[in-house]
Amino acid sequence: MPQLGNLALAIALILAVYSIVANIYGARRNAPDFIVSARHALWAMCAMVTIAVVVLWISLLRSDFSLEYVAAYSSTTLPTVYKFTSLWGGQQGSLLFWTWLLSIFTSIAAFQNRRRNPEIAPYALAVLAGVAIFFLLMLNFVTRPFDLLATVPAEGSDLNPLLQNYWMAIHPPSLYTGYVSATVPFAFGAAALMTGKLDDGWIRSTRRWAIFSWFFLTLGNMFGARWAYEVLGWGGYWAWDPVENAAFMPWLVMTAYLHSVMIQERKDVLKVWNLSLIGLAFGLTLFGTFITRSGVISSVHSFTQSGLGPYFLSFLITVTLAYSALLIFRSKQLRSPAEFESYLSREAAFLFNNLMLVGIAFAVFWGTIFPVLSEAVRGVKITVGPPFFNRVNGPLALGLVFLMGIGPLIAWRRTTADNLVRSFAAPVIIGVATGIVAAAAGVRIWYVLTAFSLAAFVLGTVLVEFRRGMNARRHMVSEPRAKALVNLVAKNNRRYGGYIIHIGTIVAFVGIVGSSFFRTEVKKSVHAGDSFSIGSYTLRFQGLDATDTPHLASATARVQVLSADGREITVMSPAKLFFKRPQQPATKVAIRSTPASDLYVVLAGIDDNGNTATFEVFLTPLVFWLWAGGLMMALGTVIVMWPNVRERAAIATALSRSTTDERELADIGAPGGD
Amino acid sequence: MRAKLILASSFLFLIVAVLVFRAPEAKNDSLTTNSQVSEGLTCQCGCGLTVANCNMPTCSFSVPTRREIDRMIGEGKTRAQIIAFYRHQYGEKVLSAPTTEGFNILAWTMPFIAIALGGGMMVLAVGRWHSSVPSNSKQSEKPTSFDPELRRKLEKELEERK
Repeated sequence: MPQLGNLALAIALILAVYSIVANIYGARRNAPDFIVSARHALWAMCAMVTIAVVVLWISLLRSDFSLEYVAAYSSTTLPTVYKFTSLWGGQQGSLLFWTWLLSIFTSIAAFQNRRRNPEIAPYALAVLAGVAIFFLLMLNFVTRPFDLLATVPAEGSDLNPLLQNYWMAIHPPSLYTGYVSATVPFAFGAAALMTGKLDDGWIRSTRRWAIFSWFFLTLGNMFGARWAYEVLGWGGYWAWDPVENAAFMPWLVMTAYLHSVMIQERKDVLKVWNLSLIGLAFGLTLFGTFITRSGVISSVHSFTQSGLGPYFLSFLITVTLAYSALLIFRSKQLRSPAEFESYLSREAAFLFNNLMLVGIAFAVFWGTIFPVLSEAVRGVKITVGPPFFNRVNGPLALGLVFLMGIGPLIAWRRTTADNLVRSFAAPVIIGVATGIVAAAAGVRIWYVLTAFSLAAFVLGTVLVEFRRGMNARRHMVSEPRAKALVNLVAKNNRRYGGYIIHIGTIVAFVGIVGSSFFRTEVKKSVHAGDSFSIGSYTLRFQGLDATDTPHLASATARVQVLSADGREITVMSPAKLFFKRPQQPATKVAIRSTPASDLYVVLAGIDDNGNTATFEVFLTPLVFWLWAGGLMMALGTVIVMWPNVRERAAIATALSRSTTDERELADIGAPGGD
Repeated sequence: MRAKLILASSFLFLIVAVLVFRAPEAKNDSLTTNSQVSEGLTCQCGCGLTVANCNMPTCSFSVPTRREIDRMIGEGKTRAQIIAFYRHQYGEKVLSAPTTEGFNILAWTMPFIAIALGGGMMVLAVGRWHSSVPSNSKQSEKPTSFDPELRRKLEKELEERK
């Protein structure tokens, strides 16, 4: 079985190399047979990597400890679901998983472009194959998932207990999907530079890939935050850890890219900027992997540290240099006769939005690498933690939220002062009123007052947009309000899906602000039957229940939660877990979540007799809205990506009534391409 | 030109405002709670988290440190005094954020300098584009027929709605 895995990876590498040669030769010599052959090679490469993944999964499920990887990251007592997720729990497996995703996305891109983009697709596929070659080289020669042990142990070392959580079943795959799918737009951007086909064709061809990548980066970050919230047991969800930062930076840059390509599509400007952004997004995905695996910067999330750092750094430098050289080489062709009429325009708002997003990404990058810089320059190791990131990014986030409100209501090209007043009067009133209400309610922190006011302002602008659209529909086709709203979103899904993403972002922002500024905590050691209070809740420790399985032992506390009037609300069950292999304690927190606040109970300690327990309890307002906002962002992205068949058909019909060539239209409207 | 000046000064104002009114830390400095002090210290067990956030039950650094902080708060020591004590013991690496002295000033200022530079370059570039717009193209023109340019725009609209 392991030999099959090794063989499959070796063949995959050969096929990837062949596909590069055949793609480039076919494109340069105008030999379609070679391009078809290269495409088939990529599909075969995907099949080979799939075989390797299946072999490793089977080995994990069968607890085949002859494999070094299985012995290191699994055990006979590990629950089946975590045997399955062990594929990405260790170094070699996670790289294999990454390569598998890349091979799948490459195959899909090859399929989509089999009759489209004949000039740039072969080069784009060659770039994708080039990236796959790097990973396959690692898997074949540096960090091999199918290495065998000389002596087969009777039992495996087991998966890290922190990874034995259901969020870990979905967080890494989501994040990896976001990271890896960013390779497709990057590859098409690089191909556009190589071929000199520098119009917005590559952007149109990869728009859905970019949104898809952003969607999964959003989910990956959200799931990771939720994992930290439930597993790490400190009551928070984001610690500005280097690995968290590494996942956040590509999300920021991809967000900037998704906004700035709209300007290129409208105005045919910012070509260099957009190509730079997609290159930067891809580079940051590599940087994230480098950080996770190199151990250069210590992180609570670095479960797979190894000697891969230098390889990733070399690859990152090579890609950066090659891509920059291409940008410089094409710089003259990338200049376009730009038109910009007014700073009071949507394109100006988008430019400033890009500045803020990339600025925040830079601030995060700078804070992440500053310890390394400090050690290199001063020889003094320092730490850059949450206080730095909160202080630097806090004001920038306010600027970004403000621009989120400006963008949707301001017109392309230019906006008159009258229009500005008409568009923004209601949102400004909503924002100011919210600030006044918050101040009247006792909020005295200027940042919170500003944040809540701006959040309300942005929600106001989005509501104004929805109201405008609904009124227009009702005026045109006399629809009832609800139907007008549904049709408005259905027929303009890209635009209104975007607004739903904005609403989700603002809702999440409110959750972040509320939970960061108003969290309270209590730490108490109590005997069974004793009570203590936090906020309006009274918590009564009722006793401990112990369980013991071959995999882990646990002590679960029964904590009765009472309201201010003494009524029982619920019984919570925080626990201490003692994993047996490796022998490691862990915490299972209990959370009672409501829209107003989360009650978060950690069993911090138990005395020897089990008579006394120490609890750490957090009462965190509004954190519910962070997760709700994340869901809204996901929903909005699905709406944006949803194929709008009716509208495309209507426009195609309208066009076909003119002098348009129907075949050409069919090409434009072909589904699945982007 | 006037608009550019207004924009540039607004931008500078924003930067200055940002520098002056940097976001406050989430908790009031006068409270001196355990978590407020331990937020300012980095756990030395290698997890990379702050002492407040490291929740490893058997951590050899954060667990005794939190106990020690409780003791020092009980003795009436302020947050600054406790943090200075740990800095003296472990050096700068125990602080969870860079100091605002010497080389570390770069850590705090560079993001804002970069944004200011980026903003300046953006204003310059936009100014160049602005001046290159022919005056007649600034007038809005109504299309009179289904010409190739309109068709191209329509096709773009079609693409956008995919």
